[in-house]
Amino acid sequence: MAALSRPAPLPRRAAPLPRRAAAWPRRAAALAVEVAGAAARRALLLVVLLAVVFAAVEALPGDAATAAAERGESAADLAARRHLLGLDRPLWERFLEWMTALPTGDLGTSAQGRQVTELLADPFPNTLLLGASAFVLTVVLSLALGCWAAARPGRLTDRLIGHAATASFAVPEFVVSVLLLLVLSLWTGWLPAVTVTGADGAPASWAMLIMPVVALVIPQTGWNTRIVRGALADQTATPHVEAAVLDGLPTRQVLLRHALPGAVPAIATGIATSTGMLLGGAVVVETLFNYPGVGTVLAGAVAARDTPLIAGVVICAGAAISLVLLAADLLRARVVGARA
Amino acid sequence: MSATATAGPAAGRPRTRPGRARALCRVAPGALLVLLALGGPFLAPHTLDTPVTAPYAPPGGGALLGGDQLGRDVLSRLLHGGTALIASALLVAVAVTLLATLLGCAAVLRPALGRAVERTADVSILLPSVLGIMLVALAWPGGGRGPVVAAAVLLGVPYAVRIVAGAAAPLASSGYVEAAVSRGEGLAYLAVRELLPNLRATVLALFGLRFVEGVYVISMAGFLQIGPQPPAADWALMVRENAPGILLNPWGVLAPSLAVALLAISVNLAANSLAPQSVYKAVTFK
Repeated sequence: MAALSRPAPLPRRAAPLPRRAAAWPRRAAALAVEVAGAAARRALLLVVLLAVVFAAVEALPGDAATAAAERGESAADLAARRHLLGLDRPLWERFLEWMTALPTGDLGTSAQGRQVTELLADPFPNTLLLGASAFVLTVVLSLALGCWAAARPGRLTDRLIGHAATASFAVPEFVVSVLLLLVLSLWTGWLPAVTVTGADGAPASWAMLIMPVVALVIPQTGWNTRIVRGALADQTATPHVEAAVLDGLPTRQVLLRHALPGAVPAIATGIATSTGMLLGGAVVVETLFNYPGVGTVLAGAVAARDTPLIAGVVICAGAAISLVLLAADLLRARVVGARA
Repeated sequence: MSATATAGPAAGRPRTRPGRARALCRVAPGALLVLLALGGPFLAPHTLDTPVTAPYAPPGGGALLGGDQLGRDVLSRLLHGGTALIASALLVAVAVTLLATLLGCAAVLRPALGRAVERTADVSILLPSVLGIMLVALAWPGGGRGPVVAAAVLLGVPYAVRIVAGAAAPLASSGYVEAAVSRGEGLAYLAVRELLPNLRATVLALFGLRFVEGVYVISMAGFLQIGPQPPAADWALMVRENAPGILLNPWGVLAPSLAVALLAISVNLAANSLAPQSVYKAVTFK
């Protein structure tokens, strides 16, 4: 896709300034087409995911009616409830209805009979806040650590960062959370152990965000530092970086101005794919810190075996991940296009 | 697709390949821990389900690590709690590696299948594994470990296939494979006799990382209470169950947490040293 949308480089580079200014609207249009194309492709993949989720919920034994059933309920009661929830209609009809309702923000009805949208309206933004803070911190930290290690190849700093990154990316977030909770909260008392929710449904103080964010950041930084370090190592082997080194440019300049731009596509892909891990981890970490996010809602859904609610969360998470992947697609297309 | 891009010659990083003895040192902690967890049930001083002390009792008396939320011995439950976790993670790793290797070889030999695999991986990346496992395990009546393992395999395969296909793609266009194709050999022969022998390092690295991922996913499910159900002893479940009493007996939470952390780290180090660095990098990379 990047190869197709790449603008022809030669005329553009050869064109004198006035003509380039005249070509500006055309380039803006090309950019718009490119963005729309990438967005359409991501949207299509999201629709496929929705179809798979819907089919999975249908194909798996047990539905919302049996999930909410109480002990000793007769088959007739069950059938009545199934009719009430519309589960006795044909599969394609329900799928079509579900899909057409999605753009209006209707995610269906939970097993308890409440609107899924209503159940997720407060918690999902909180989870996004947690995930986005962790994402930004992960990007900054892994770029910094990866560059730092790459500036000292094979030396102690490089090896230490490498080992720490390898060790940390395998550890589940809930284990990191427990260790943080014990050290930072229960033994030293520096940070609050549980999140208290304010009147608006958000955490009452920013200090309550620190530990959940750190618990998410540590494993993800380990993973992404390895990706940044590896991408930079691949770049240092390329002729233009070798030439920059032989020109006697300082290490910092070689790394940031010559190696890093070429490494951006690999880094963007790597970091974008860890969004899913971040959101999944957020769900788990929230449970432990009592953070008012999707994780807390899901903990209830697990007990009630509320599949429609979980499908709703999957859709929201899928949409968020699609957006980050789209940003990575565009970034990659820009960098590759500019360097062609 | 970028797996192929990074699978090329390793970077100009001055890196001596660790010797056999050093590799052994790195594999040893993981192997030891796995052995301890598998043999643990025979070492436990108390039974699993009878209270021996007060709920959340601090260490002392007959219980070396104190009591859990029902006063059961934390140490005994700790020794029991790793077996099923490690066995499930191993099962996931073996199943994913096996399926991914076969599908990956078939995908490079049959381009249509290859494209389907690419699209499946694109879609599956939108589904966080924790949520996917919740979805499957909850819709499954009865729950338990079975659906969690099945879901972990199902969600792990598409991405793993992409890695194997990335490594196998350059082989598929090599002379000896083309010769075998023109001899009229079948798909199975091509995959098993021509491609597989040259994919050993990739498959080994893949297995190591899938084991790491398996430990992560299975323990995550345990913590969310969608895998093993309460009377069972499981490290991740212990963390969840004993969390309310963390102030009274921190060991009830700390000991299983450390066990999971040590298992994850040592298995990861072992996986890291089992395969050549360039292959490991290709597998880690997206």
